[in-house]
Amino acid sequence: MTLSTPIISVSSLDEVKSAVTDAMADKSRLEIIASGSKRALGRKCAYDVTLDLSAMTGIIDYQPEELVLTVRAGTPIAEVQTALAEARQMLAFEVPDYSHLLDTANAGTIGGVVATNLSGPRRLTAGAARDYLLGFEAISGRGEAFKSGGKVMKNVTGYDLSKLMTGSFGTLAVMDEITLKTLPRPETSCSLIVQVDDFAAATNKIASLFATPHEPGSAAILPAELARQAGLPLNKDTDKDTDKDTDKDTGKDKKSCVIVVRLEGIDISIADRLANLQRLTGGDRLEATASEALWAKIRDVRLFTAPVRDVWKISCPPAAAASVIDTIKASHDISYFADWAGGLVWMTGGTDTLGTDLRQALAGFGGGFAMLIRDSGTTRQVIPPFQPLPGPMLALHKRVKAAFDPLAVLNAGRMHDGI
Amino acid sequence: MLMPDPDQDVIDRRDAICAALKKIVPAACVIDSQESMRAYDADGLSAYRQLPLAVVLPETVEQIAAVMKWCKAEGVKVVPRGAGTSLSGGALPLADAVLLGLGKFNRILEVDYDNRCVVAQPGVTNLAITHAVQGDGFYYAPDPSSQIACSVGGNVAENSGGVHCLKYGLTTNNLLGIEMVTMDGEILRLGGKHLDAGDYDLMGVMTGSEGLLGVVSEVTLRILQKPATQRALLVGFEDTGSAGTAVGDVIAAGIIPAGMEMMDGLAINAAEDFANAGYPRGAAALIIVELDGPEAEVDALIGRVETIMRSAGASSIKISQSEEERNLFWAGRKSAFPAVGRISPDYLCMDGTIPRRRLPDMMVRMASLSQKYGLRVANVFHAGDGNLHPLILFDANQPGELERAEDFGADILRSCVEMGGVLTGEHGVGVEKRDLMNIQFTEEDLKQQQRLKCAFDADHLLNPGKVFPHLHRCAELGRLHVHKGKMPHPDLPRF
Repeated sequence: MTLSTPIISVSSLDEVKSAVTDAMADKSRLEIIASGSKRALGRKCAYDVTLDLSAMTGIIDYQPEELVLTVRAGTPIAEVQTALAEARQMLAFEVPDYSHLLDTANAGTIGGVVATNLSGPRRLTAGAARDYLLGFEAISGRGEAFKSGGKVMKNVTGYDLSKLMTGSFGTLAVMDEITLKTLPRPETSCSLIVQVDDFAAATNKIASLFATPHEPGSAAILPAELARQAGLPLNKDTDKDTDKDTDKDTGKDKKSCVIVVRLEGIDISIADRLANLQRLTGGDRLEATASEALWAKIRDVRLFTAPVRDVWKISCPPAAAASVIDTIKASHDISYFADWAGGLVWMTGGTDTLGTDLRQALAGFGGGFAMLIRDSGTTRQVIPPFQPLPGPMLALHKRVKAAFDPLAVLNAGRMHDGI
Repeated sequence: MLMPDPDQDVIDRRDAICAALKKIVPAACVIDSQESMRAYDADGLSAYRQLPLAVVLPETVEQIAAVMKWCKAEGVKVVPRGAGTSLSGGALPLADAVLLGLGKFNRILEVDYDNRCVVAQPGVTNLAITHAVQGDGFYYAPDPSSQIACSVGGNVAENSGGVHCLKYGLTTNNLLGIEMVTMDGEILRLGGKHLDAGDYDLMGVMTGSEGLLGVVSEVTLRILQKPATQRALLVGFEDTGSAGTAVGDVIAAGIIPAGMEMMDGLAINAAEDFANAGYPRGAAALIIVELDGPEAEVDALIGRVETIMRSAGASSIKISQSEEERNLFWAGRKSAFPAVGRISPDYLCMDGTIPRRRLPDMMVRMASLSQKYGLRVANVFHAGDGNLHPLILFDANQPGELERAEDFGADILRSCVEMGGVLTGEHGVGVEKRDLMNIQFTEEDLKQQQRLKCAFDADHLLNPGKVFPHLHRCAELGRLHVHKGKMPHPDLPRF
């Protein structure tokens, strides 16, 4: 934003509608923001006017026993979470807070979370933000009001535009009256800590734990160095230097990775499941308070030590993560850890070519995507922050964009050129 | 039900169309005799029947793409069909459309335990996915009651649910990736074995799009480890209001059961006559609550639910002590539809959703509608998520009764929307609820949905006449009215 960029603050969808129709008539473009906490994600969009939704706040309706919450788009996440906590409920997709990564003051608004489809560690078993959006009202880039979905949990009436809107980065429509499914908050939680030889052993071990009925909920993989810095008590045979693969004296592999498995639920269930998983792994228990603190760091990507360079989010088949990491390690100086049983890898490194190499590696190991989350310099001017789409997919995306926002009034070019 | 006027020109070209299709797919994969096509003239909504122009059963994704491309070029409509179990007429043929059957896509391509997924062709049945992995303790969670017959491709098209979706979600929550073919004949891959992608969630939009946006040619499904223990409670109530309250109380206590079902008096007695499941005859409502998970957890939660049910005024409670007993509890519920079929020559199965707290109001409304139309209604609910399945009993041989039953059903769905709910929870709109869409959506809502359709199928060739009451040409939908809007609050700061 420059000083000369006008800001229109709106407090209702009617006002959004006016702003969009004005922009259409003036051939001007709008940047859609509320708190601005996720402005650094994606491409820099082209805009003449900033449309500020931060006055569109408040919980419209919350029925805990219905598991349904309707909230205005600009409502701060913190406000939503407080209201849910009072009813011992939560947003099960576990909203992450990237303010630390993105150098912003707060975690943002519910509209921003939905628009970017950001989900935390529970995504592995409970699903993503896209799985919890039940319905919404919106103004399209055509300046027309429309709604989709509903305020009930089970609904297949018409196209599921909630899925389309989630993760569309404000490029299709401006949402308000967002209805989300809520879930009861687990009564307690703890973690199982298991040290393993390397990353591949970690994904294998996790796969074996998910092949038991002991219901692991979340599963992260931390290199021993990061785990130690995060304050995890590790056994002494752990490799102190991640560059060395073998112990000097014995020549045997050292335990270079740590698996953290989170269990949630009622006390008696956790005790039972943990005991079973300990029998299978010989791992240690991390009590609720320490476990919650660790998972918050994993969720919010606060495990990397300063100074943090570019940070990439990589989503891949869990069993492919080790190969992707090994490939990148061979030519880049990186630090990394994984969530979602290996299916989400956070990687930090300093060179412009990291993203390109990552995308190439992913294509060779079963697909996936790499997105630039933190740009510590000018990387996003060199490498597209969103993974480029193959031709027919790009064409379809452009047709979808045109179906909602034919004049590219909303967040123009935020995701891809023309989208 | 009025379908779009068939294109006589296309019907006149039928022989040439069949000949051309036989050059794209092996000749034996084109079915064009009246007798053989009869097997495809309806889906699960058998009140509506129509012979297609021709049936094509491709064997490869390239053949699907070639058929679509050819049909697009020739302006011939296409109706996709999986196993044909849709309850809303989603696969109802059109006289001027090629019926594209996916029946030959019946192979499971990969079982991948490391990434906890199964890759399968769309014609594989829902239950076959579970069968492929259950030896290793896994299963596929969505379990629509037609799971023995319905196909996973159809499940994607309809976003199918089942009795366990309260805890485990619908198809859309258990789908990792698809390969699809557009009306243009392009083969696209959406998602994969990874969880998140950074593009528009077109897979999410394809799911539940009722065959209007593309043809699913491959699916990647998430599989889960089977819970260690499953136990159920069978709870009777003297009045439906208390039963409705009890359902809310369970959720409010922080318990999400694997399934929570309700039946009313008429359904209870019909099911008991049919299945001898030990249901409490004479009760006004019956709730089945199933809990699953580690044994210690299930035992503890069973106790909590029992306490909640007693406080809510339950008149009878049985708790399953064995798998045999648990299955018996379900036997009645699962046979509810055929059981009702025994007490009435015909029935219509409705499928709306309401906010759960409106259940008592809905029961009162249904009783008064039942009187108004002079037809009985038996109720089966997925109570946990507010999804209703009223079964309207009628006799098609009595003149006018089918129409009366349909009007009754439409009134129930109107009531669902009026009470804050929706027209369909899991069966889809299809042709059945197409003309009711205006109750839930404004014209603008529906036009925006159709604009999305235009992005996938600009000529409305794929499964037309379903879901939308009025078809608008894409050129018309795309027209823009650019004018300077009047600001409602001109005094707002604009700096």
